[in-house]
Amino acid sequence: MILAVLFANNDGNILIERFHGVPAEERLHWRSFLVKLGADNLKGAKNEELFVASHKSVYIVYTVLGDVCIYVVGKDEYDELALAEVIFVITSTVKDVCGKPPTERLFLDKYGKICLCLDEIVWTGMLENSDKDRIRKVIRLRPPTEA
Amino acid sequence: MAEPLVKKDDDRDDEGYSPFLGIEKGAVLQEARVFNDPQLDARRCSQVITKLLYLLNQGETFTKVEATEVFFATTKLFQSKDTGLRRMVYLMIKELSPSSDEVIMVTSSLMKDINSKNDMYRANAIRVLCRIIDGTLLAQTERYLTQAIVDKNPGVASAALVSGIHLLQTNPGIVKRWTKEVQEAVQSRAALVQFHALALNHQMQQNNRLAVNKLVTSLTKGSLRSPLAQCLLIRYTSQVIRESSMNTQTGERPFFDFLEACLRHKAEMVILEAARAITELSGVTSQELTPAIMVLQLFLSSSKPVLRFAAVRTINKVAMTHPLAVTNCNIDMESLISDQNRSIATLAITTLLKTGNESSVDRLMKQITNFMSDIADEFKIVVVEAIRSLCLKFPLKYRSLMNFLSNILREEGGFQYKKAIVDSIVILIRDIPEAKESGLFHLCEFIEDCEFTYLSTQILHFLGNEGPKTSDPGKYIRYIYNRVILENATVRASAVSTLVKFGAWIDSLKPRIFVLLRRCLYDSDDEVRDRATLYLNMLGGDGLVGETNQDVREVLFGSLDVPLVNLETSLRNHEASEEFFDISTVPKEVKSQPHAEKKAPGKKPTGLGAPATGPASAVDAYQKLLLSIPKFAGFGKLFKSSEPVELTEPETEYAVNVVKHIYDGHVVFQYNCTNTIPEQLLENVTVFVDASEAEEFSEVASQPRRTLPYDLPGQSFVAFEKPEGVPAVGKFSNLLKFIVKEVDLATWEADEGVEDEYQLEDLEVVAADYMLKVGVSNFKNAWDNIGADCERVDEYGLGVRESLAEAVSAVINILGMQACEGTDVVPSNARSHTCLLSGVFIGNVKVLARISFGIDGPKQVAMKLAVRSEDQSISDTIHEIVANG
Repeated sequence: MILAVLFANNDGNILIERFHGVPAEERLHWRSFLVKLGADNLKGAKNEELFVASHKSVYIVYTVLGDVCIYVVGKDEYDELALAEVIFVITSTVKDVCGKPPTERLFLDKYGKICLCLDEIVWTGMLENSDKDRIRKVIRLRPPTEA
Repeated sequence: MAEPLVKKDDDRDDEGYSPFLGIEKGAVLQEARVFNDPQLDARRCSQVITKLLYLLNQGETFTKVEATEVFFATTKLFQSKDTGLRRMVYLMIKELSPSSDEVIMVTSSLMKDINSKNDMYRANAIRVLCRIIDGTLLAQTERYLTQAIVDKNPGVASAALVSGIHLLQTNPGIVKRWTKEVQEAVQSRAALVQFHALALNHQMQQNNRLAVNKLVTSLTKGSLRSPLAQCLLIRYTSQVIRESSMNTQTGERPFFDFLEACLRHKAEMVILEAARAITELSGVTSQELTPAIMVLQLFLSSSKPVLRFAAVRTINKVAMTHPLAVTNCNIDMESLISDQNRSIATLAITTLLKTGNESSVDRLMKQITNFMSDIADEFKIVVVEAIRSLCLKFPLKYRSLMNFLSNILREEGGFQYKKAIVDSIVILIRDIPEAKESGLFHLCEFIEDCEFTYLSTQILHFLGNEGPKTSDPGKYIRYIYNRVILENATVRASAVSTLVKFGAWIDSLKPRIFVLLRRCLYDSDDEVRDRATLYLNMLGGDGLVGETNQDVREVLFGSLDVPLVNLETSLRNHEASEEFFDISTVPKEVKSQPHAEKKAPGKKPTGLGAPATGPASAVDAYQKLLLSIPKFAGFGKLFKSSEPVELTEPETEYAVNVVKHIYDGHVVFQYNCTNTIPEQLLENVTVFVDASEAEEFSEVASQPRRTLPYDLPGQSFVAFEKPEGVPAVGKFSNLLKFIVKEVDLATWEADEGVEDEYQLEDLEVVAADYMLKVGVSNFKNAWDNIGADCERVDEYGLGVRESLAEAVSAVINILGMQACEGTDVVPSNARSHTCLLSGVFIGNVKVLARISFGIDGPKQVAMKLAVRSEDQSISDTIHEIVANG
């Protein structure tokens, strides 16, 4: 299960968050935990450089893309390797939508589209789509060209 | 009309400006009225939805009315043909999660989309519908969903499959009917469809061992397209291996070839998963481990941090059970200490600390010192714990390890981190005698500048116990007295207690301690003054508190070996009189929760047999009663008295229950009898006990009840001898024998009477009777203190059980131990549970048990029992009890 996908800016403000199977009262804890993790480690990190951590049986893979920090939290079958796959799809799609690693402003400009992409990538805690070209099409309800 | 949300290409001009600056919920809800326009502006509507999404993502909540209003307005947008807007509408409906009475508004639109020619409409409509519908509606749409699962468009198939996974939680009955379609989808050419289908298939059948076995057997022969699916298959294969018999006749492990072949897969993810699966096989041999460790070693130097993390995490686990198997990776792991990713570095260090040999300790410590300054406290704690284990493994290296601990103790850090260090130093001092002096010195230095009251008092207490036994105890006095001058009241009181211990132990220091204690008499805090007064009297030897030096030491150094709750009860029950309170009368057994053991709950109290005032007073009373019978006086100290066990059905002529009194070499059964027939008087009441099914017991004495009038409870006793200190068990059949006399209720005269007998139920002496429920306040400390010298660990299969909770409670009952830290409560739906038990076994031997339970799909329960005690034979006995239970 992918428990959470979080986008935050460099100051730790949440831009987008999606939780699956995380009780509402635990979300605040996760939010602050992830933001602190990013503040401790992401300073000076290169774009898309992956960071990984585990907390009990939960895995966290996170990275920075432009002005945006992205965190993915998972457990069970979504261990660090599967999460790396998920975050790769997310970063490549965001780059695709924004045309480059986004500034915070650019990210917010493309906010609606990014929400749609995320909806295609992760749904009910599962990785659903993993191909950015396909995602680009399906968010406009265009049929993807299948190989 | 409001300004459009975003002007194209203005991000370059105005980098820092947020398009959502000043966004306000009320205004956006107003804007959402555009959804009701007869001529829909698709672009504008999309912008409003984006704003609504942003608000929701910022943690904004809509009231019920607001949400309903937005939802109804959003449903109007189905009229628009704009595909971009439709996609937004799907997302918005999912985000709003309409209530069941609102869902009806969109179902027809969604059903229309499910039947659309556009596959993307279908896929999205399925996802939205599955998010919002209930069971009834699901049954109606089931036909479309099963079709969608096998749809040639992978988007549609995946949407239906993932929806299936989601719906399986709420409507398992319906989803489980889709087996055929899901199995077909497992064979799909689309990688992700295969992945989703496999996950759903397994979830549907996870309780059916045979089906999972079949699934694994068929899939391991072919090849899956998706690496993610392949990883799932490896996990399911491990599950099958775990559940199948360990070895076939050829001695080979089933499916091992498959796992080994996966080590050569082209996807790194699969290789790592296979390596991990192999390392986690139960009873894995070094031959089986070698290829897995080799690939893990290669990943240690991968350029991808996730691969390095996964590899070092797996190796770290292997190091716990097979440290020798991973020593080849040590060089690669040493280079990971400087890894930028601190999680990787911490894992590498803790692994090295487990696998390193004595000669590499110093080098390792140098590397770790540089590393410690730039990691967070939670990582530091892991390292400290690993260093503690290393030091216990290589006691000769205590000097450098102790220095390391003292250095990091001086640096900045939070309470948990400092506590971990202090705990480690304390353990090292206890276990390595040579480390005592330097360890105590480091602790003294630490309390000179310690901001945590808890740690200061803990160290002062420890110092009081250990300091006086060192070669130069006087040097610690300065550090302790400084606390009296500089600290808060809690620490000052602790310091006073510590000072007096030095005075009591070392005569030469006594006069100096006197001077210091007298100063404390003027302290501003009453607790400090009280302690100082008490201790001055004690040390003064004026006979008020302690008669001899030995008494004083007993008071100061003896541990309080009774549970506080029992002490409190006894003190409350103690009436202020001329009689002193005697702590030895406080029962040691932990008060157990009242439980429904008695068959007749509404029964009248039957004297001593059914004490109403709780175990504390009951045990007192038992002890006094038994001592009053000369035949039993020579049995020594009473170890334990059981709860009364009923031997008759409720509402019978004679009510009898029995209390088992356990001594070291004897057992006394106390039969509490009540005659419930007014017309009868019983005389010479005795119980004939047949111990043929209790071979180790032989009857040595009995004490009949002379008379038993109506409704006046009386006791009859039978005593057995048994081998000294041995937890002998057995079954006893009981026959009540007596002379029954008819009583004339008018004159109260009885006739001559006849002999009669009455069959009672059987009684068993079980292993739990030899165990006192004595809890510990901090299990981990107690566990560490008792040490692993007399530890025994074994695994047991408990077969199929009703639930994990039932299995846990059965094992606790068999052992008769006290569950600590609330671990007797098993969370519902838990698949695994660890239970911490403590008790005192016959012979006054402390016993601790840590039991890990696990339950699998078919409710097969397995457990790992680790027992630590002060005596190896007792640890073994506890295992025998479990094995025979």
